[in-house]
Amino acid sequence: MDKLMADAQQVFGKGVVENLVSKGMDWLESGREGSVVCDSNGNELIDCYCSSGTYNLGRKNPAIARALKQAIHETDQGNFVMISREKAMLSEKLARFTPSGLDCSLFTVVRGESVDAACKLARGYTGRTELITVDGGCYGPTGFAMSLSERADKKDFGSLIPDVQTIPFNDIDAAGRSITQKTAAVILETVQTENNCRTADKGYLVALRKFCDQTGALLIFDESQTGFGRTGEKFASDYFGVLPDIMLLGEALGGGMFPFSAMVFTSTVKAFFDAHPLIHLLTFGGHDVGCLVAAAAIKEYDQVQPWQNAKKQGKILKEKLKQLAGSNPKLKSVQGIGLMLSLEFESAQEAEKFCRSAIQQGVLVKSGEVAKHSVVIRPPLTITDQDLDKIVTGIEKALSA
Amino acid sequence: MNQTSRKTISRRERDQIFDAFGKHISKGQIRYLTAGHLDILEGERDGFRFYEGQSGKSYIDGFSSAGCFNVGRSNPQIIQKLEAAVDDYDMGTYGMLSAPKIKLAKLLADVAPGDLNRVLLCGTGADVVEGALKLARAATGRNEIVSMLKAYHGHSGMSLSANGKDYYKELFVPLMPGFSFAPFGDLEAIRQMVSERTAAIILEPIQGEGGIHVGTDEYLKGLRELCDQYGIMLIFDEIQTGFGRTGKLWASEHSGVVPDMMLLAKSIGGGVYPNGAVVYRDRSELTSYVDRNPEFHLSMGGGTDLGCIVSTAVIEYIVENKVWENVEKMGNRLLDGLRSIQKENPGQILEVRGRGMMVGIEYKQEFMGMLMADCLATHGMFAAYSGNAPQVMRFQFPTAATAEDIDEALAIIRKAIKLSKLYMLALGPLSKIPFVREAMNKGDIMVTINNLLRKVAFWE
Repeated sequence: MDKLMADAQQVFGKGVVENLVSKGMDWLESGREGSVVCDSNGNELIDCYCSSGTYNLGRKNPAIARALKQAIHETDQGNFVMISREKAMLSEKLARFTPSGLDCSLFTVVRGESVDAACKLARGYTGRTELITVDGGCYGPTGFAMSLSERADKKDFGSLIPDVQTIPFNDIDAAGRSITQKTAAVILETVQTENNCRTADKGYLVALRKFCDQTGALLIFDESQTGFGRTGEKFASDYFGVLPDIMLLGEALGGGMFPFSAMVFTSTVKAFFDAHPLIHLLTFGGHDVGCLVAAAAIKEYDQVQPWQNAKKQGKILKEKLKQLAGSNPKLKSVQGIGLMLSLEFESAQEAEKFCRSAIQQGVLVKSGEVAKHSVVIRPPLTITDQDLDKIVTGIEKALSA
Repeated sequence: MNQTSRKTISRRERDQIFDAFGKHISKGQIRYLTAGHLDILEGERDGFRFYEGQSGKSYIDGFSSAGCFNVGRSNPQIIQKLEAAVDDYDMGTYGMLSAPKIKLAKLLADVAPGDLNRVLLCGTGADVVEGALKLARAATGRNEIVSMLKAYHGHSGMSLSANGKDYYKELFVPLMPGFSFAPFGDLEAIRQMVSERTAAIILEPIQGEGGIHVGTDEYLKGLRELCDQYGIMLIFDEIQTGFGRTGKLWASEHSGVVPDMMLLAKSIGGGVYPNGAVVYRDRSELTSYVDRNPEFHLSMGGGTDLGCIVSTAVIEYIVENKVWENVEKMGNRLLDGLRSIQKENPGQILEVRGRGMMVGIEYKQEFMGMLMADCLATHGMFAAYSGNAPQVMRFQFPTAATAEDIDEALAIIRKAIKLSKLYMLALGPLSKIPFVREAMNKGDIMVTINNLLRKVAFWE
């Protein structure tokens, strides 16, 4: 362990390790199963970080793990320019799984890439250049995604993508003024997980849909974290009852066994890809092994319907956390919906201190990437009553530490 | 190989696959692939070839997914390691450390050239390019990036900004300001373009998608000197050239030039699991920025535990088997053979170029690329032509090719050229008329003409 950490300092950098120390995350996962992850010493923690919402179906999900094992004997990644059974089959399955109307898909790998693809599709399809987003967003580290995100180090990376406008979240008037016939797309997360789980008003999203329809702009929801049941509904789009033109799916699609994400969209905007078939072909996007793993994950989502448990446990958890907040002045508020809940602290330091204590108490959490004074609680959606008790007890103890 | 023993699917199932793909992904892609006779499914695969999913017809793989299969396809040693790992691991937690991540990073530092011994793990080629360019800009505090004309670095925002072809960019502008493009191989030209405002020069030591242009040793050495003179980061995108593809483990070894950052993806995933890495020099500008900003490029699907176990197995396999030695030998055999074919067909082939098993033929007419893809497919070889440089055909055969494999590939190329001459009998006179030639060289029209030709072709 010490030897490995010394090696890590050497190859990744001292700062990388020090940063993990300050977050209480300077250990190596020694085991993982369901909602539990084990630290270097074998102590069990409930994984309430889930690698930013990847493990909706739990760690090392057995059905998906089995599918991966089988897939590598059946196929490999395939020649990426070609048509394959795996890609076709997954695209069909996804069309059935995602909200009706979003029938088409493009497969990507890392978070951010699908946001970039969506921005390109919006510009390409509309022939317009302006991209509108809201403050407090966190979309990933790639070019377009980073340009749209609120992050402190953005200035370090020089001139980013031009013609990006940021408007205040949940402000209908501002949206009405800003969205015009010059707008290619409006992009947002309906629940800003990394920003203290700030949640859109339903009326706001309905208004955005209306403004987009009136001006011909595309509405894009980044459901990287809200998708696959996290909100207590299958997708946040279902939760709010507003259908976007393009929706981005995160790593929960690969079930945590394979890096796989996607952009799904209407057949109307797909016309752009039909006209420009070579414009966005990805080597690892639509990986045939990944397609089989994602298909198995979708089957598992269909069977387990984890959004139901997320809705039920989320309600109980939020209630219990609110009770804790009532009796603990350190905790300013509890935000969020479903199993994406956020604890608000006085400062970033307080939040980080809490994370360290919580990890000591067997609850793996990390503070928000935008609102660093918040701590996101996002366990697997399949948590049991006992898991929930452990989470609450752990948080309670950590608060009084 | 006996075709009937292959596992195949029915015509009906094939049609269903094509329908679903067209409906949910892209009809345009089917149309484009059909024009080059590439509307085929990969069924079973072995060392040098794959078998079409419905007909069982054998195809030599002349593309290898642009150089993703340097350990071969479904390499048993790697499959076995991944299968065993699935019992204990999943993707892991992004941003955290793990034994597989540390092990891979250490191995990368060991096998990378010179003092390239620091690592940033990423998930895809584009992701790696993003990480590197961000690091270069942030570490130098400079904004300007010099890339190359015809360069290909990816489709995400920053990597796309670094692409040297308008084709990929023009529908999505404005992209990131501060990028300029030098003619590849021209040291004088780039000397005029760089200054103390330049953060990085990024290039593929051998341009792949751009049409197999080999950077000479003098050129790369000149770039190194230029970068040292102005404090510029030299970035080699070895996503296609790395892991033995060019006859050395890294393409940079040919010239001995050590870049400040080396970018890896494609074959690092062993053809079964995506991964990627920036390996960078232990120089204070870079390391101190990373130390101060350890989360500057946290890649969520990159450097996963399973991915790192696969990549470690890939590097071990490539190093143990010295994969590059066979590539060098067979690459030379291939180049010699292609040069003979060029001599026999001066009317068709303008140039043959490349290194190791990364070889390109430049045809005399642009529309020859698609025509040849079609003719090669007829004779049992899958070779991709580039949609926006259709006069160049890339050959990236499997690295474990034997002399017999290469000879068979050469024989097919010979036959295909003969067949293409038949087509040319029809197209040749037409192509002498300037506006017809111009039309034929346009991608869209080319696809239509070729699809028509395929319908009437009597020799298939």
